Amino acid sequence: MRVLRYPALWWELLRLCRRRVPGLVAGMFAAHLLTIAALVGSALSLRTAVNATLQHHTALAVSGALGAAAAYGISAGLTGCRGIFRVLLVEKVGLTDLHEQIHRDIAAVEGLDHLERTDFLDRVTVVKHSAWAIMDGLWAAVESVFNTGQVVASLLLLGTLSPWLLSLLVFAAVPLWFDQRGQSAVKRAETDTAEAFRLQQHLFELATSAAAGKEIRVAGTGAELSRRQTAAWEAAMRGRGRARMVAAAWKCGGWSVFTVGFVAGLGLIAYRAAHGSGTVGDIVLTVTVANSLRESVHAAVSRATVVAGSGRVIEPYLWLREQVAQDRARTRGSLAAPEVLRDGIEFRDVCYAYPGTDRMALDGVTVRIPAGSVVAIVGEYGSGKTTLVKLLGKFYRPDSGAVLVDGTDLAELETEGWRARSSAAFQDFARPRTGFAEAVGLGDLPHLEDRERIAEAVRAADAESLVARLPQGLDTQLGRKFGGVDLSEGQWQKTALARASMRQDPLLFVLDEPTASLDAPSEDAIFTRYMQRARELARRTGAVTVIVSHRFSTVTGADLILVLDRGRLVESGRHEELMELGGRYADLYSIQATAYAPIG
Amino acid sequence: MLLTNEDRRLLLRPLRTAGWPLIAGMLGLQLASTLVPAGTAVTVAALVADLGSSSRADLFRAALLPLCLFGVVLGVGHLLEALSDPLQFAVKARIDGRHRAAVAELAATSPTIGTLEQPEVQELVRLAQAYPDNWTERTPGDGAITQLTVLVGSIGVLASCAVLARYAWWPVPLVLAAAALARAVGIRQGLAFFRVWRSGIKEGQKARVWADLLTDPAEGKEVRVFGLADWAVLRMRGHILAMFEPAWAVSTKDLRRQWPMVCLVVGSLGTTYAAVALSAVHGHTTVAVETAVFAAAWSVQQGFFGFDPRNQIGALPGLRAYEELKQKLAPRTTVRADVPPVPVPRTPPDPAVPPLVRFEKVGFTYPGTERTVLDGLDLEIRPGELLALVGLNGAGKSTLIKLLASLYEPTSGRITADGHDTADLGPDLWRRQVSVVFQDFVRYQLPLADNITLGQDTGAAPDRAVIEAASRDAGLEEVLARMPDGWGTPLARSRTGGVDLSGGQWQQVVLARALYAVRSGARLLVLDEPTAHLDVRTEFEVFQRLAEHRGGSSVVLISHRLSTVRQADRIAVLDGGRISESGTHEELIARGGSYAEMFAIQAERFASGYQDHIEEGELL
Repeated sequence: MRVLRYPALWWELLRLCRRRVPGLVAGMFAAHLLTIAALVGSALSLRTAVNATLQHHTALAVSGALGAAAAYGISAGLTGCRGIFRVLLVEKVGLTDLHEQIHRDIAAVEGLDHLERTDFLDRVTVVKHSAWAIMDGLWAAVESVFNTGQVVASLLLLGTLSPWLLSLLVFAAVPLWFDQRGQSAVKRAETDTAEAFRLQQHLFELATSAAAGKEIRVAGTGAELSRRQTAAWEAAMRGRGRARMVAAAWKCGGWSVFTVGFVAGLGLIAYRAAHGSGTVGDIVLTVTVANSLRESVHAAVSRATVVAGSGRVIEPYLWLREQVAQDRARTRGSLAAPEVLRDGIEFRDVCYAYPGTDRMALDGVTVRIPAGSVVAIVGEYGSGKTTLVKLLGKFYRPDSGAVLVDGTDLAELETEGWRARSSAAFQDFARPRTGFAEAVGLGDLPHLEDRERIAEAVRAADAESLVARLPQGLDTQLGRKFGGVDLSEGQWQKTALARASMRQDPLLFVLDEPTASLDAPSEDAIFTRYMQRARELARRTGAVTVIVSHRFSTVTGADLILVLDRGRLVESGRHEELMELGGRYADLYSIQATAYAPIG
Repeated sequence: MLLTNEDRRLLLRPLRTAGWPLIAGMLGLQLASTLVPAGTAVTVAALVADLGSSSRADLFRAALLPLCLFGVVLGVGHLLEALSDPLQFAVKARIDGRHRAAVAELAATSPTIGTLEQPEVQELVRLAQAYPDNWTERTPGDGAITQLTVLVGSIGVLASCAVLARYAWWPVPLVLAAAALARAVGIRQGLAFFRVWRSGIKEGQKARVWADLLTDPAEGKEVRVFGLADWAVLRMRGHILAMFEPAWAVSTKDLRRQWPMVCLVVGSLGTTYAAVALSAVHGHTTVAVETAVFAAAWSVQQGFFGFDPRNQIGALPGLRAYEELKQKLAPRTTVRADVPPVPVPRTPPDPAVPPLVRFEKVGFTYPGTERTVLDGLDLEIRPGELLALVGLNGAGKSTLIKLLASLYEPTSGRITADGHDTADLGPDLWRRQVSVVFQDFVRYQLPLADNITLGQDTGAAPDRAVIEAASRDAGLEEVLARMPDGWGTPLARSRTGGVDLSGGQWQQVVLARALYAVRSGARLLVLDEPTAHLDVRTEFEVFQRLAEHRGGSSVVLISHRLSTVRQADRIAVLDGGRISESGTHEELIARGGSYAEMFAIQAERFASGYQDHIEEGELL
């Protein structure tokens, strides 16, 4: 069944094209059929003209000549049309429907683990900007079929002169086959040298970038980099050039065989003409066919190469589709999220390991977070803080154990509904290069245009001074590439915080390392405001606010501090309690504090 | 016309870099293959002439010679076509390779960094890199080959015209003019599409913003929490349509515009074909001439369509950008009037003793800006000391480092090493004594060993023992133990047998790089916030190792964490473009100046539960 995957995909895409742009599809097919007709027509007309000339038949000679001119003119016009049809078909359907479908599918996967898997991401990287290449593969396949049809039609035409000439089909198959082999060698070389090519591109980028330029100059690596870049380029090009020599050799061989066969065939026609059983016009026809044949064969082969090359995109595309389908088939929760949180959130013996690793990212975590509380999660790098937060957002499903929201398993809640009642600012926040207002408003789509709400969110994130400094205030375009301004890391972080503050009635509010890039006064202001906000939300919806930090000193005011160490919850309680306990929290807190102890 | 003579010269110039044997080969091949259509027309005519004359006794034997000739022309045509591909590829690879090497070298070896940092220069580099970003960009190789093809192709057209003229002179201008006109119309249409498509690229980039949002693992969290998927797809669609709809409109119009071209071709060919057929029927000319005219007129037509003008148009911006880059980045010898030239020391500096470095009234303003970053700054870096440099964000610490490494020239004042102006020493000689670890250090996708030794090549192969010693000092053994191919393992997963390192592991590699530089003769080591993103404990460890293994070198350390800084031999505070105070931690605390204030704030903030960075605006 796997063999049929490509034709099945093409059939599906062809139907999509027919539905979306029926005129273009019809035009493309008509153009191809007409091209074959014009090819046959020009050969036949020329024969007629020559034969009629020899028979002194004026009207027929002139109409043959005019017919040939018309056929040539039309085929020239059709060449242009086919090119345009192809661009339109590939872009109009590939860049809208197919491109959107791919992105929608990827974003529709419920969890996040797939986007963190390299096998998935590698394929996403290939597919996400290559929807057009999938579509191009389809139309290259169609064209290749028609080009082959052209070859066959030409040779059948010769067959009408003498059935012997049908044997030329065999001779024509040789260059077709040889060309194909040559082209595969070229393709193979491209893959084989891809690493050298990537390396030279990497070195080129280093050599020309301003950031790397500092170290390169100080260390004096410029000349060496340039040398290695050139060496890698030459290695890549040597491999590719050699493959092209091989392809040329195949081509020469194939066409030599064909030429011998063809000249023999032409000799046969000439012999018949000389002996009265054929006409001189037959020779003209044969030669006309010969001239167009190389082009047809070459087009058929080069389109077929594109088809073969499109496997590079189609394979990962089909793989992704399968993954998405599997994800869709998983059982999903259907219960609505509660209106307000009454009891709280409970982790019951939750374990989680990242796919492909055996280390437990979370290892038997059990804790109850009362509704309306502010929870701080602290721990060193890799202790599982972010993983815990991601489980709350349903980005991962626990391997064992469960997360309960007011007693209901989170897995049974409808994901979109639960997420609509959450809000979060993550450590690796998004940096949308849009207008500033939109970058904030995205945090609550229904209120995207609500300037008052946006201004309020900006205040909550202590970002008013940032907005005041933007040249067009809230309407400032972000990203220098788009004629806007570039934000610093800290400014982006404030934008992310503002975005997280858009939703007014979340049940869960997550701040994942919210101030890592901020200066101290901002951090102070933000912690004060978010403590207030947490209390407000708690009153309104019983919301739980979760603050993640690797700085123990930032969270002393939380209702509950969870100390994680290598996936295990080692301590929990209030700051004072934990200090009194004299355990890990107190230890780490003291280590960080002594660096500032007075001297002596 | 499409191109000016200047453009043509620019397009042809890179051919020189391909070397004459390749060019001669390609030229010969092109010349031969451009004559094939005319040759075909002549030989077929000869064949027809022999067969068409019914007077000869053994027609077939007579026809054998033209038949063989035709076979030869046909075969040679096929062979030439097959061979031209690898030859053109070789020429293109050579031209583009030389071009890229030239751009890379230009960018990597300009003495200072200021020009390269300008956004417009970066855009020039992007344009000149001969690495097409989309189908409208072509390389110098494409442009040069196509320009040559156009020139040589006209010889083929002339040959076909000569065949045509054997029948009569008048079809020559008729067919030529029609073909040229049809081609010009086609090219103009193509270029209109080309330009419209190009003008939409910005929209395409905006569409990418949303496409990336939808598929990025980090942003994927927000897409899901905020339910942005459908919205982002809509936005993406909007930008894609904004980019492509104008181009589609042009294409659709072009479809209809094919008709005039068809009419032109049919008109000119039809007139010629009908006329020659008529004369042949009436015996004014032979059927052989008729056949030759049929073939030759069509090949004149095709001769105009045998190249892609987008190769020329698309290559020009890159070639022009390269010319401009040469202007901007080529090394200039500036003669400075304010400082009398000092003879460069003849004797090489003593490798055992670090230099005494002095900033003397150094002022600096970034070109094109108003703000004075450094203003009459005086600073000494004493041989062998560990100097910490502190200051608020934007105080100019990184600028000071760049000046120290001769990456910029001071606007006023001078920097001396053992009394010699570093500008007179020249960047190469001076930088040999300096090693800098920048915050955004370079991650070479090269083997681990190269990542440590690159830049310290003294001609001889790097000494394995020195690499190992430096790595031991940097605590790299654990990383090394996990390398599948030891020192030869490339540090990038995209390379065969390569691995990706974590941020912390890279940090250790770079520390080893710095310590290797010290062992290879660098006597001044500069660390610009090497550990800003690490936690306090790791930074402390890195610092300890460095202090322990730096040998006799001087070290300049920039850090925001005063808990680390306090261990330095001497601390200098940069404020208002000058060094406002310097001394040991104890001295500065006792002095009760801005350092003491900063330290107190950090210590207090820690005690009351805040982070331990000093940042912008804190003391201002």
